[in-house]
Amino acid sequence: MLPLGTHGRPGPGYFPLLLSVLLGVLGLLLFLRGGSSAHFRSIRWEEAKHAAAILACSFLATFGIEKLGYRITMILILGFLFGVVERLKLWLVFVLTIGLSLGSFWVFDSLLRVILPRGGFGF
Amino acid sequence: MGDTFHHLLLGFSTALTATNLFYGFVGCFIGTIVGVLPGVGPLAGISMLLPTTFGLDTTSAIILLAGIYYGAMYGGSTTSILMKIPGEAASVVTCIDGYAMAQKGRAGPALAIAAIGSYIAGTLSVVGLMFLAPPLARFALRFGPPEYVSLLVLGLIVLGYMTGGSVIKNLSMIVLGLLFGMIGIDQMTGYFRFSYGIVALGDGIGIVPVAVGLFGIAEILATAGQSGRPEVTKPRFRDLIPSRQEFRESWWPMGRGTVLGFLIGIIPGSAHIISTFVSYAVERRISKHPEKFGKGAVEGVAGPESANNAASCGALVPMLALGVPTGGIPAVLLASLMVHGINPGPLFIKEQPTVFWGLVASMYVGNVILLLLNLPLVGLFVNFLRIPYRILYPTILMFCVVGVYAVNSSFVDVGIMSVMGVLGYLLRKFDFETAPVVLGVVLAPIIEVSFRQSLAMSDGRYAIFVQRPVSIVFLASAVAMILLAFKPLIRKKRGFRDQLTDAEKSG
Repeated sequence: MLPLGTHGRPGPGYFPLLLSVLLGVLGLLLFLRGGSSAHFRSIRWEEAKHAAAILACSFLATFGIEKLGYRITMILILGFLFGVVERLKLWLVFVLTIGLSLGSFWVFDSLLRVILPRGGFGF
Repeated sequence: MGDTFHHLLLGFSTALTATNLFYGFVGCFIGTIVGVLPGVGPLAGISMLLPTTFGLDTTSAIILLAGIYYGAMYGGSTTSILMKIPGEAASVVTCIDGYAMAQKGRAGPALAIAAIGSYIAGTLSVVGLMFLAPPLARFALRFGPPEYVSLLVLGLIVLGYMTGGSVIKNLSMIVLGLLFGMIGIDQMTGYFRFSYGIVALGDGIGIVPVAVGLFGIAEILATAGQSGRPEVTKPRFRDLIPSRQEFRESWWPMGRGTVLGFLIGIIPGSAHIISTFVSYAVERRISKHPEKFGKGAVEGVAGPESANNAASCGALVPMLALGVPTGGIPAVLLASLMVHGINPGPLFIKEQPTVFWGLVASMYVGNVILLLLNLPLVGLFVNFLRIPYRILYPTILMFCVVGVYAVNSSFVDVGIMSVMGVLGYLLRKFDFETAPVVLGVVLAPIIEVSFRQSLAMSDGRYAIFVQRPVSIVFLASAVAMILLAFKPLIRKKRGFRDQLTDAEKSG
């Protein structure tokens, strides 16, 4: 547990505790005024399938970027989004996937000297 | 006065070097594209491109990023006028009369008036920035920790009030952002807080993954599945020239929009959006032909477009003079200064004259670049609108990943971005604003350290915040703002906050 300290010498837990109490109070106010808000049922989720696919790609980037390397990770992500999710024509999927993955690597890594990770095969 | 001009000369000698001119041009060009493309806001655009500035010197980096900022304000009007789709929220008002003008075959003059108004407002408001920021910084040097706490509390409460939607929800988001800002090593004791054994969280969660997640990824998630290629009319250069009457009717709205926009821009919150509403309301109120508004009145384009550009410049005043950002975009600009080892605050202008005056001068130059870009190249920018969204969003996702990873070369940052993306998507679904979270994250370390120093100074007595005159003025203003927020509970009438909420939802 983080030390709270005293009022005169506040510790590392002092301010987070104050903020948590404040968030709790604001949450309570929101709960009490909940009746005047729109019903949860009225929220539309028609983009949810697309959103789930994009999120999966985002998490693949998180765990794959250092293991597989930037270029392979991006080829997988862009290929999946253009080819499987958006069902573009095959030649267009190929051109966009390879062009954007390798092109962005060249611009950022080679041109702008932003170091991007290489995977197991140096790719 | 003499000092100011001496410094401005120094600024121009910095801004007019070939390198800085190049980065100013690149910033304006990218900014215009960011503004034109619906779904890529200036905040996400600046955050994604922040890592590309790491290899640059500080002045070039801030010139590039500021160029993206005011370039996006310029570009936002194009989609509003041609398609009735605001490129960003500050262009919502322009849709009304801008699109009506386009339907009457006056799209070209509407675009030209928007560009000229933005140029005039941008240039004149830099004069305001130049004369206001240095004395404000000198005044702020007298502030101790209690004054800083009160100022930040006031700023955050004003932000909660001036951002659209529920004030309670906005305040909750600010507190949530402040709590996110508590993650990492405590600056005063060295304790690890809320890092749960993940070493990379020792430095805290950075503003870039938070901003890109909440704005870039959340936007893609919320708008994914859109199909179709939008119909866009492409005006020719010779069609752009407004008539003499249109010019005559635009000068005063541009002037009024500039003054209003600059003054409103200094206030925290969605100032650039509010300024467009105020400007539109003022023009309509004082017009001899109010019935023309909504049907293609050129004043309805000139005023709001000037106001939003002036407001984006006004927002830089507290950021540069006090080190206190008033919104998400100034917060990211502030973070970029910190990445380059510069401590923003009242001493910034004195200690970094080359950066400050170089930025000021680059804004004069940038406004000329934007005018030259926006008028002849409007056809080129319109072509970006023809890119189908199903090709655009995977590309944006790629830029988000590379932008976030490059900040610290850490996959943890990409993970934070993904988590923030989910959070931002859900928050949007449940009608919460996400900009206050970003500001909370940025301000958390400053407000916590000042708060703990204040308590240490007073031996734990909270009275220190009301015993100092400047501090009590700030706190009294904050209380007044909270009381104003309760007004709708007593008097049910649609006010500017409801209009602001509608604009933010459509932007």
